Formats: sequence, C-alpha cells, structure tokens
Amino acid sequence: MRLSAVLGVAFTEPLMAGVMGKKTYSGPVVAPTAVQEALVAEIADVIIPTTSTPGAKAAGAHHFIIRVIRDCYEQKDQEEFYAGVNRIAQKAKSQFNKEFVDLTDTQKKQLVQDAADHDKAFFGHMKSLTVTGYFTSEIGATQALDYLPIPGRFEGSYPLKPDQKTWAL
Amino acid sequence: MYLNIDAAKDITYDAIVIGSGVSGGWAAKELTEKGLKVLMLERGKPLEHITGYENAMKAPWEKKYNGRLTVKQKETHPFLSRDYPYNEMTEKYWMNDMESLYEEKKRFDWYRPDIVGGKSIMWGRQSYRWSDLDFEANLKDGIAVDWPIRYKDIAPWYSYVEKHVGISGEKLGLPQLPDSEFLPPMDMYFVEKEVRKRLEKEFPGRVMTIGRVANLSHAAKHHLEQGRASCQYRNLCSLGCPYGAYFSTQSSTLPPAVKTGRLTLRPHSMVSEIIYDDQKQRATGVKVVDTQTLQEREFFARIIFVCAGAIGSTVTLLNSKSNRFPNGLGNDSGELGHNLMDHHFRIGASGTWEGGLDTYYFGRRANGIYIPRYRNIGKDKRDYLRGFGYQGGGSRQGWQRNIAEYAFGAEFKEALTRPGAWTIGFGGFGETLPYHENRMYLHPEKKDKFGIPIVVFDADLRENEHKMRVDMMNDAAEMLERSGVKNVNTYDRGSYLGMAIHEMGTARMGRDPKTSVLNAYNQVHAVKNVFVTDGACMTSASCVNPSLTYMALTARAADHAVKELNRKNL
Repeated sequence: MRLSAVLGVAFTEPLMAGVMGKKTYSGPVVAPTAVQEALVAEIADVIIPTTSTPGAKAAGAHHFIIRVIRDCYEQKDQEEFYAGVNRIAQKAKSQFNKEFVDLTDTQKKQLVQDAADHDKAFFGHMKSLTVTGYFTSEIGATQALDYLPIPGRFEGSYPLKPDQKTWAL
Repeated sequence: MYLNIDAAKDITYDAIVIGSGVSGGWAAKELTEKGLKVLMLERGKPLEHITGYENAMKAPWEKKYNGRLTVKQKETHPFLSRDYPYNEMTEKYWMNDMESLYEEKKRFDWYRPDIVGGKSIMWGRQSYRWSDLDFEANLKDGIAVDWPIRYKDIAPWYSYVEKHVGISGEKLGLPQLPDSEFLPPMDMYFVEKEVRKRLEKEFPGRVMTIGRVANLSHAAKHHLEQGRASCQYRNLCSLGCPYGAYFSTQSSTLPPAVKTGRLTLRPHSMVSEIIYDDQKQRATGVKVVDTQTLQEREFFARIIFVCAGAIGSTVTLLNSKSNRFPNGLGNDSGELGHNLMDHHFRIGASGTWEGGLDTYYFGRRANGIYIPRYRNIGKDKRDYLRGFGYQGGGSRQGWQRNIAEYAFGAEFKEALTRPGAWTIGFGGFGETLPYHENRMYLHPEKKDKFGIPIVVFDADLRENEHKMRVDMMNDAAEMLERSGVKNVNTYDRGSYLGMAIHEMGTARMGRDPKTSVLNAYNQVHAVKNVFVTDGACMTSASCVNPSLTYMALTARAADHAVKELNRKNL
C-alpha cells in the first residue's frame, strides 16, 4: 500500500471508461500554437514567479504542462484547456489593449486572479500542473526545495533548521 | 547469466516451478539447494537485478508525466489504469491488459505482472505472521472448512524464511500477531510517536507499532553476502532496488538458486496446462506457450510447484483437463476457483497535528505504522465475524499541499517551500470471509492470444464485510481524536476485490478432499506430485498481509516434497 492512499490524498482519477465498454478518445491531439505555448509559460510564471529562486518559466514548467495536456488529456479536455488560455489572452486585449506578455506584473496578476475567481476549472488545471511542473523541475527541486536523492538513513524527529526548506522528494 | 532461453535439449527436470514471484522464487531456492534440477517458467519478460531497474535512479525531472497516465496507457491497460500501482515508472513491470482481457460479472482488479520476479518487485513488503486466531477461525466460526495446519506447524518456517529475507520490526509479544525474527525497527515520525503515547493510554489493549517490512533496516552479514545492502530510505521500492535492500526474487531467492548451478529460468513461458498421465496417475509435466512465438512445447518433471499467483495458478489447474479430471486438475471437490478472497480497505480517517513545527524528519521511510487487530478478541464481541488491522502513518505536508491563504504568486510559492503541518491517518485492512459464491472461472468459449480461456470474475464483498467497515471507519476517527489529532475526517473510497492485491483462496487447503483442493503440505489431494503454494492455497484470509505466509508455506512444502521424493513416495 502506498501511504498517500491511506492519508486521504487523491492521486488518480477513476478512469473506467475503457473497461465499461465506453470508447476512450485518443483521436488527434490539439496542437497549441507558439503563441499559446508562450502564454502557458507566462501564466505559469505568474503562479510561481521568480523570487529569491527562479520561477516557473525559468524552470521550464511549461514544457511539462504542455506535454501532460498533449499526452494525458483527451481531446475535449485539451480544447477546453487552450480555450482557457485564449480567454486570458482576449482579456489582455479587451481590458488593456495589449498582448498578455506585454502587460505589467500587476496587470498580469489581475487577469490570473480573475481566472482564479471566475474561470475555476481552467485555473485549477493550470495551477496544479504549474506546481507539479515547477517543483519537479531541476531548478524547482534543487533550488526552491531541499533535494536529497539518497538520504541513507531515516529519522522521524529531526530538528528543523531555520534555513530548512521542504524536502523535494 | 542465469537465463537459459534455448533449453531445447533439456526438457526433463526433477522439478518444474511455475511462476517466479514470492512463492516461485522460494520454491526454486529451496528445491535447488536440496539438490534438485529445477526449471522455473515465467510468463513475463526477463528483468535483470539492478541493471534492469531502469527508472530506479531517475530524478523527478526525468519523469515525463509525474504519475499521470497517458491516454494511450489508459487504452492499453483498461483494468490496471484504474488504480495507482501502474504508472509511467512501472510501465514495463505490468502486463498489457489487451494481451489477455478478462470479464467482470463484478469488478475485480487483477494486477498481472509481466516480468521475472513477478509482484515481488512491486509488492508492499509488509510482512506479518499469522496466528492461531487465523488458523482456528474457520473451525470456531463454523465457516467454510478448517485449516489443516496450526501455528505450530508453520512457526519454524516463518523463522526460517524471515532470517533469510530480513524483516524490520518491533517485538511486541502479542498472541494475535506473533513476533518475527526481527532486524531493528524503523523510527516513527514525530507525530506517530505523539499519537502512539496517547492512543495506547486511551485504549488499553490496542497497540500502535512500526510496520513490519521486508526492507533491510540493518543488513546482516548473510545479507551482505547475498549482495544486499541496507535500506537507503529513498522510498522508491516499487521501481526495483539498486541496493537489493528489500526482498524480491531477484535480490533474495534467485541468487542462491542460481549459485547451485541447478536452476534453469525460462521467461516468456506461459504454462497453458499441467499434463496428467491417466495410467501413471500423476502429473508428468507442463505444456508451455512461448509468448513471443506462440509456439507450444512440453517440459517434464517429477514434481511441479504451481506458483503463478492465486488466479494464475487456478487458471492453470482449471485448464488442465484429462479423463480423470474433466473439470480441472485436482478439482474433485468442485471448489477450484471458489472462495475467492482479498482484503477490503480504502476506508479510515486522517487529520492534522497542531504543533511540533520545530521538528522535521530526515529520509523517506518506505513503511508505515501498524495497529494490530483488536476486534473480536478476548471479551470484545461485534456484530460481525473476524476483524481488521490498520496501516497508515504520519508525515509533514510538503509542496503538494493546498495553501488556503494564497491562490498563486510569490507568497504562495514561498509558503510551499516551507514544510506544512504534521498529518496522520489510519486505513483499515479487513478480513474477507471465504464465500463459496465468490468465484472466478474460465470463460466457456473466449480465449486469449495464447489460446488460454479468459477469466471471468464473480465475487463481491458481503454483509459481514460491510458491517466491519462501519467499525473500520469509526474506530479510526475515534482513535485519532482521542489521541489529540485535529481536523479528523473519515473516508470510504469503496473497495473492490483484487485491489489490495492479496487475492487468495481459489484452491484452498483442507483436511477433506471432498471440500478442498490441497492437503496440509499444499499437495493436490489426488495428485500428490503437484504443489500449490501461492495465495490460491489459503483457507481463510486473516486481516494481515499474506506474502510472508506464502513464503513459509512454500519452504515447508518444498521440504516435504524432497523428503517424499527421497522416501520414493512421489
């Protein structure tokens, strides 16, 4: 038994369509445009910005996001995701008459906050993939977190030092 | 190199072992060490120790999807993709469901490995002795049939296998959960120590201990000599351990078997049936389908150990039809395929601990805590039979947690880079009764690509299990709350048979050939040179993890087999 199964963490969705005889969709994938890919990187970088450590864009979190959307999402869900990306791009134009990438940090945050409040399904996917993509990236895992691939021992009570970060693994 | 794929000249052996998992590995080790020339047949592909564990040393950024399944994986693995053990990192260890689909009159999660070593590579490693509470249970309750053995029969064999395997754990002296030959126990997390102190005071008679696990907390000399090192606390066991720190066929039973020079291991070899000779009134060998070429061939031996996993072994027996056994080898009783059991679980409670924030942990422990069964023991009497134990444990929340205060941005990021609250949870593992009506059988017409009839499952949890689950959920919450845990939430995610991967019972042991398939030494009653020593043999399910018992039963059966061969009784 994996521990997270006992601890109330949901880690897989029940994916029974194939077994229940329903057709699972594996048709053509939605190919995002270069503009959409750049937007994913920009939005991710608002969710996890550069602070004392590099942010999501520098860590390449968008490569993970785009790959997961392409290979793990069914076509309908891929389309919905990029529709959400497009909505943010359109709002940048309608509200500020600019491309999202050209907005100020405050304006970018305003639009992402708007998605968090009013476009919850899209924002939920975007946020969850950004967090995973970032903290499992080499930069995220080794710079924003404490990365220790081979601990060699286990201590269940270990003094928390002031500079201790969350374990990456 | 231990593989001998082209064994054309060598078709006759002293013993054939079908399957190379926990049970098959032990059979091969014991039989070769006792001087027999053994052919081990494995349906899956080769998996070399250490070098074959391709994903074991990968960094998180080398994973493509970090645990998510691709649309393609869901299509090729419609059954396996329903639960967690199958993912991008373990892809090659599991069988492609499409190679042999099965039918579910009721949902059954059947996890089929596709490698030498079987599920011993991916297993959960929790290792507990059964007790007479288990071996006497059917007799006392008037349920199913009595076990033909008692604890005293298997106790020395538990000791024997434990010394070789290496089980880390804490001595408790409990009658319902006898101690093993232990390596040092692993440490508990801060929160677990806090909860344990309070729980054991609040609930006299209940105990919370560290999980007993087949990981080398401290490799003994004989483990080092096997090429095994102590656990490095990476918690990536199911990818295969480059240190050989947990028990698997590859790390523990295959090396000594290979060392004898008497083992031939043949992967890609699906046993379709056992050959029974009506004149000699004994099994003489097996028919094998090469899974790559689909060609058939035969091998012969004096004894056969069937260790293909509970369902796999039962399929093999059911598909071995002869004049003497028109309904499957050894199926005089009609019980073959019936009494299908597993543990029911995915129910319990969890919460958070306030405080302890100046304490963290070091390393990743591939183990949890264990609360041994306390229900229906002594004066405790419930409205159901048998009981359950809890597995679970604590930790401190990491970057995966939700941050309520911030949706995104610099504060959100900074919060995730610091550890969160301590959490703890208990999940019940309950005993399932052996119901004759719970069964699997061969489809009368449909066959898979290897020409073997596909399996149909028709088994479900029943009233006794559902009543027990009420306690499993409520007791967990009560123990956590009275031990000082806050924000306690209960859950019941539903449990389908097979999901615990403790499937068992479909060729049960018993005293009477009219009502059971195997005798007290795991021999098919009417075909004494065929032994079944995996989960299929179990007469009841207990609530504790079964693999250690399969090991002990296999070693005991192998000892009996060789003694009987020497006495010319086989």
